[in-house]
Amino acid sequence: MRTCTDCDLRVEGDWERCPLCGSVLHGAEPGGQPEPSPYPAVPLRFSRRRVLRVLTLTSLGVIALSFLAQLLFRHDAESLGALRTVWLGVVATWLVVLMAVSKRRNLAKFIVYLVLAAGGMSVYWDYLTQWSAWSLTYMVPILCAASIVGLLITVRLIRMELADYVVYSGLTVLLGLTPIVFLSLGWVGVALPSVICGALSLAVVVLLLTLRGGAVRHELATRLHL
Amino acid sequence: MKRRHWVRLDNASNIFPAARSDVDPKVFRLGAELDHEVDPGLLQEALEESFERFPLYHAVLRRGVFWYYLQDSDLQPEVRAEAEQVCAPLYQADRRTLLFRVVHHRRRVSLEVFHALSDGTGALWFLTDLLSAYTRRRFPGEAPAGGGDAEQVRPGASERPDPPPARIGTHPGAQAAEEVHELTQDSFAHYFRGRRRRREPSSHEQDFTREAAPAVLTVEEAEDPEDAWPEEGDQDSRSSRPPRRRIHRVRGTRTPDNRTHALELSMPAAPVLALAKAEGVAPTMFLTALFFEAIRRTDESAHAGATMAASVPVNLRQFFPSTSARNFFATIRVEHTFGQGDDAPGAVARRLQEAFSAEATPEALERRLHRLIRVERWPLARIVPRPVKDLLLSLINQANNRSLTVAISNLGRVTLPAPAQAHVGRMQFHVSAVRPQFCAITHDGQLTLGFTSPFVETAHVREYARLLTGAGVEVSLAAARTTEEELAGVDP
Repeated sequence: MRTCTDCDLRVEGDWERCPLCGSVLHGAEPGGQPEPSPYPAVPLRFSRRRVLRVLTLTSLGVIALSFLAQLLFRHDAESLGALRTVWLGVVATWLVVLMAVSKRRNLAKFIVYLVLAAGGMSVYWDYLTQWSAWSLTYMVPILCAASIVGLLITVRLIRMELADYVVYSGLTVLLGLTPIVFLSLGWVGVALPSVICGALSLAVVVLLLTLRGGAVRHELATRLHL
Repeated sequence: MKRRHWVRLDNASNIFPAARSDVDPKVFRLGAELDHEVDPGLLQEALEESFERFPLYHAVLRRGVFWYYLQDSDLQPEVRAEAEQVCAPLYQADRRTLLFRVVHHRRRVSLEVFHALSDGTGALWFLTDLLSAYTRRRFPGEAPAGGGDAEQVRPGASERPDPPPARIGTHPGAQAAEEVHELTQDSFAHYFRGRRRRREPSSHEQDFTREAAPAVLTVEEAEDPEDAWPEEGDQDSRSSRPPRRRIHRVRGTRTPDNRTHALELSMPAAPVLALAKAEGVAPTMFLTALFFEAIRRTDESAHAGATMAASVPVNLRQFFPSTSARNFFATIRVEHTFGQGDDAPGAVARRLQEAFSAEATPEALERRLHRLIRVERWPLARIVPRPVKDLLLSLINQANNRSLTVAISNLGRVTLPAPAQAHVGRMQFHVSAVRPQFCAITHDGQLTLGFTSPFVETAHVREYARLLTGAGVEVSLAAARTTEEELAGVDP
């Protein structure tokens, strides 16, 4: 074992200099080989995280700014239509990617986020292109219905524990009921998509409560425990 | 369809998920150095055996709307070669992982635990059990001596209030594990909330509830110490303490990737005990006084009137017998202002000892804990959503950090059951830290001080070592490479 004469202590491991004071250590090992350290050398892992963080923040900033920028263009700027659509598409893609990365460990939660983000964005898009209610008429019901079907497939394909998806499945189904509200308020042009979506959601609610009622109540009691 | 058993993480343990950060993942490590290179295969078998006996360790942490809760899981632990830094993060939101890990490197076995699951004592039981199971397999010829020798060493009772390892460290793990299964009521309800009738779930669920039932009171970061001591016994200490005194805090350069900077000083325990005895104080307070002195010597900003404060955990099991492996400790804060009389470490230690003794009594602790439990049971506090609770708790935690210079934790003298006792040398104890900290543990006549800090600077440890070597103690240092220079040649 080597010694640091400045600190007057023995230093274990293959250090050349004292980890405390930095002075050169004395006394070689008998075999000439340095004694291995009781701690492994763990390489730095930080740069990757820093890059990821910077990228995420920059992307979020750009996305937020581009949403604001869209509001500045007049509704009637005809020539901008195509450009705007392409640009919003790019922004939407990034938003979904960022959400998918941050929620990658909880698929059911990601689906809820996806429905909320995509629904919100289509409403916004609709608003930018002189509100014709296409988002509420078609986009939101289709999105909700598709997400419910998607969720059912996901649960079938991936071995998920009921507890892991039941709350977010519930939320998805509740979102699926919102088109009915839009319908009753008369905000939609064509009733069919909302009706289909609502019916599907109701069916799933009934299914969930009859087949998994106990589990749902148990999970809700757990999460809402006071 | 498996319905998972779950139990709420009590308010006191909630501080750990809330106070967790990149710098301080609230993970602690207990380690043991064996007399041979560890056999990973046998260690895995031993881990599986111990894991069976500690249903609490099956738990994963989940987030509810109002509280965190521990939920039973089917996950199986695996021993791994150590490839991460000391006290690397364990709990990550949305990631359902076990809240502990067992790693090995050369002759060392280390158990790392997320603090919300267990405290040092509970983890020591698990490690003891693990080491016994391992050495039984590695040295099948050596029959266990029945743990009789372990029972003789019970420093706690007479030496109070030095955070006596009491039965804790000296308690053979296997025995502790069995006791845990006998427990019918959790210590928390038993001591501080009055008796309540409990449901009787079945088999594994039953084990899980028992072990996972909140036994806790981490007073640590939960309350301002000024408020925590309203009784008359404290009148003089309060009036003698000027209000709003600035506490000296250590500052430094963060480690490059937020890893905990871990350094370890090992020394024979006897000379250090003799030094403490010569000053007429308990070892923990002696070591704490040395820590203050080391920081004063290395930190220019620690001027003459500087006040230094340390938090010292007290194992509640010594006052309120409990075999719960969950958190069951309170922390006591001691402080010293330099430049007001004798500042020699011995004198400082005596004064710290006095303050500590006054607070580390069953009566004082009980008053304080009842109070905390009342706060926890307060209806308004219960309906606050968890993210808001997290925010509030992390603010309280930050405020509390501002009133501390260092933290100290002493697990005391550990005696393992045979045959582990014969094959384990030094033991190690480290806690991830937002401020300089040391953790002490003694085994086989060797005292090991695990210094941790979020900073690259090591001057305070150097001074600490020099104070000890200056007093004639033989010290050896083991360090994990931490800074960019130290890791220059290491490939990722």
